[in-house]
Amino acid sequence: MLRVDSLALAYGATPVLEGASLEVPSGQFVSLVGPSGSGKSSLLRAVIGLQKPLSGAIDTDIAAGEIGMLFQDDALLPWRTAEQNVALGLRLKGVAAGTAIASARQWITRLGLYGLSERFPRELSGGQRKRVALAQVLAREPQLILMDEPFASLDAIVRARVTQDLVRLVELRGISVLLVTHDLEEALALSDVVYLLSQGPRARISGRYDVSLPRPRDVIKARTHPEFAPLLQRLWNDLAREIGGRAA
Amino acid sequence: MNRKTAWLRQVVALAGLIAVWEACADAGYFDPLYMPAPSKVAAALYQLFAQGTIWPHLIATFSAALGGLAIGLIVGTALGAIAALTPVVGELLAPVMIALNAVPRVVLAPLFVIWFGIGIGSKVALSFILVAVLIFFTVFTGIREVDRRLVERVVTLGGGRRALLREVYGPSVVSWILGNLKVAVGFAFTGAVVGEFVAATKGLGYLLSFAQSSYNAALMLALVLLIMGFVLLLFALTGWLERRLLRWRG
Repeated sequence: MLRVDSLALAYGATPVLEGASLEVPSGQFVSLVGPSGSGKSSLLRAVIGLQKPLSGAIDTDIAAGEIGMLFQDDALLPWRTAEQNVALGLRLKGVAAGTAIASARQWITRLGLYGLSERFPRELSGGQRKRVALAQVLAREPQLILMDEPFASLDAIVRARVTQDLVRLVELRGISVLLVTHDLEEALALSDVVYLLSQGPRARISGRYDVSLPRPRDVIKARTHPEFAPLLQRLWNDLAREIGGRAA
Repeated sequence: MNRKTAWLRQVVALAGLIAVWEACADAGYFDPLYMPAPSKVAAALYQLFAQGTIWPHLIATFSAALGGLAIGLIVGTALGAIAALTPVVGELLAPVMIALNAVPRVVLAPLFVIWFGIGIGSKVALSFILVAVLIFFTVFTGIREVDRRLVERVVTLGGGRRALLREVYGPSVVSWILGNLKVAVGFAFTGAVVGEFVAATKGLGYLLSFAQSSYNAALMLALVLLIMGFVLLLFALTGWLERRLLRWRG
């Protein structure tokens, strides 16, 4: 369980978040959506410890080593091969080098990258690099994964495949996820709960949406579920209100 | 137009230039005192090796250049890394290095002769100072401009300072150093030859100085070609090293 309570963040003198609160219960997929610049990514950075909050609390019963983070950029080490990048995550967790490499190879195969272990990041496509980054995080068997629009740069087909693989693994292993995304449809298709962040500065959580679509979930078919469209309409209307635009 | 035909064209053009030069020299268009024929330059070069007189000079220059290069790489890397990772040291060291970088460092050659004598020490010192300042800024910039996303990636995976040095800063700095290694090799030989030119009893710079004082243009051109050849050979070696160690760049 992760609980963010009344979090306030700023960049220098510019306030970003003020009083933002949300929860990620154990084994749940939670998404955070909101206008650009509202502080979604900053909230994730604060949770992982890359940014210091001004006030508020971030409570979790999960050890720091059990929290993984997927960035918008895959941020793989360009001088390490795919398997070395995946193994790095394990080695930094204290796993012996030989075991880490063996496990990295298994994860690379599991994520559909068989035969690509020895390739450097520049020799991989965008989708393959995302899978390596995902393998790097999943190989550590985290209890919670924070994701900052990790699939935004991928084309629609690759994105659907990678997210489906992610959902399958997350459901199978009972991993909690906090995903930041601009894509409302993606947020609803993947999540159990979606939080809406208000327009910044001093953004706060302005809405919570429970998504009761069945699991295991097919991320494409989920969009045709009868509950999906009304929920999307509600979320879209609320977001449009936040940014001062007109509802669709 | 592939690389092979481009290479062939370059060889043909060079051969043509040498032929025209030789013909002009034979026809008396060039004064042999200032512009000897290529055949005279080749003969001077041959004599150097045939008589075996070149070897002590080659060894002296190479020892000074490679010694200065090695010490410059080690000290430049260490100082650059400490300055980049320790802000207080960076504040103290950066202005000194900027000042050293602002002047043509070969002007220090006479001072080094006073400090270290006319032996190899003053030549190594000049090569060292030329290389060390270059490598200092290479490493300093390499660490300061390292991709922050990679640093955050390793931090979020639980990596500390040692892991960051091993996984991010180290490889990043190596790629920057290898990118500048050819320039460093050139600087090291410049230092050694200029040092020998100022005051020495042996070395290619000393031979150049001797050729100048005896108005022996053929020997001078032969020495220039020799230095050029060896430096190009070292460039090829560093290029091979760069391709091998930076395979990830493609």
